[in-house]
Amino acid sequence: MSAVIRLPSPLRPTVGGQRTVPIEASDLASLPSAIASRYPDLAARVLRDGGFDRFITVFVDGEDARFLPGEHALAGVREIELLPAVSGG
Amino acid sequence: MAIATRTTLLRGLRCRACGELQPLDDRYVCERCLGPLQPDYELHDVGTSALRSEIERGPLSLWRYASLLPVAEPPAHYAVGWTPLIEAPRLGAALGIERLYIKDDTRNPTLSFKDRPVAVALARAVSAGLDTLACASTGNLASAVAAAAARNGLRSFVFVPEATEAGKVASAASYGATVVRVRGTYDQVNRLCGRLADDYNWGFVNFTLRPYYAEGSKTLLFECAEQLGWTLPHHVVVPVGSGALLTRTATAAHQLTATGLVDDTHCHIHAAQAAGCAPVSDAVLEGWRAVAPVRTPDTIAKSIAIGAPADGDASVDVVRASGGSAASVSDADIAAACQQLAVTEGIYVEPVGGVVVATAAALARRGVIGDDETVVLYLTGNGHKTEPGELVLRPAIDPDATSFETAYAEVLS
Repeated sequence: MSAVIRLPSPLRPTVGGQRTVPIEASDLASLPSAIASRYPDLAARVLRDGGFDRFITVFVDGEDARFLPGEHALAGVREIELLPAVSGG
Repeated sequence: MAIATRTTLLRGLRCRACGELQPLDDRYVCERCLGPLQPDYELHDVGTSALRSEIERGPLSLWRYASLLPVAEPPAHYAVGWTPLIEAPRLGAALGIERLYIKDDTRNPTLSFKDRPVAVALARAVSAGLDTLACASTGNLASAVAAAAARNGLRSFVFVPEATEAGKVASAASYGATVVRVRGTYDQVNRLCGRLADDYNWGFVNFTLRPYYAEGSKTLLFECAEQLGWTLPHHVVVPVGSGALLTRTATAAHQLTATGLVDDTHCHIHAAQAAGCAPVSDAVLEGWRAVAPVRTPDTIAKSIAIGAPADGDASVDVVRASGGSAASVSDADIAAACQQLAVTEGIYVEPVGGVVVATAAALARRGVIGDDETVVLYLTGNGHKTEPGELVLRPAIDPDATSFETAYAEVLS
């Protein structure tokens, strides 16, 4: 079963206005290339040099992806959320 | 009541990443690259004397700097800012800093500097016709949002980590806010609010109103410069949570210089963090490396316990460009510094104030501060909203003079 990517409103126009889109990738390290091949308009906004841009925060079932290894398997993951890197008071 | 007229120098919102100038609408990140947006002002052809006069004639609040803010003063809000800049000779002697000043921002309406960014965010929310304010908070922001909403007849929802100090939660609740306590760290609360900000048409002050909100933080340095006779301090020690205050301190220094309000003197900006959550200070002290987020912050300085600061890398860049430095200080040093401040200057702060004082001590020990250089410490939160540290009190005495003199003979001698 594939996971879904949940997108914030500024990114939804890149996928026809949808809030979530399906994605299939074996692990975290291969997620950027999976996005690039399936959603090139989205990739153009969120990827840089083969990885996620620093202004994007990625959460895997609620866990900040920066704390997960690249080989973290995405099988069984329900939701990958992309949020603008806006945080803190 | 009419909204105060003002001279605005505002041009639009500019992306700090790609540089694109964008209109002042409801966007809160760059449409092109999702980078952070910051109001952009026309600074170079300003009549300095006229601007200075306008400021000096202005209200005794942060709105005296309305020309350098993105929105006009809201009609009904209470005064925020214009807090005292206090000479601190006894603390200075203890730290070995000759010309030490304290910017006592504990004296704002809800006892923290958060009233400043909230005042600007509130002004934007009111002008945009929003009926609800919201935030993710470590505590102080929750109080500031709740009070500002109450004052202006808005609803408020404040989201805080479950472990937030009871005094701060009680404060926010007393203003009528819906206080949502969340099982998790601040960063997890923040993620939740990032999701909700898309689903609810509320003014999330540190998300959807962030380009406006963050501007309020500039006004600390504006005030310090004016209170020093339109001069920048040589050093300013800034507590770092998200990094918004530190980066906007640099913005303020630039704007003061570019408008000619101050001479082009150098202001070293130093980052103060607790060792239990020091992503920025550690990056500075470990060779200006990229910020590595902290998964589980662990410090008594809960107000700045933000493991993944949005302005973290930008803060490192600011510190480096300004010729500043940083320290990460232990909880024991933080508690001792709070007490040192209280007994030398009579100012009672939350642990973040101890982080700032302990950082200043570390900078002084390292020889970072030269003779005759002015140093300003930002004290951003009052101690009365936090749990008191461990008190060692003597037993109660009978109400007679003999009991007093017997029990306290050692102190009296």
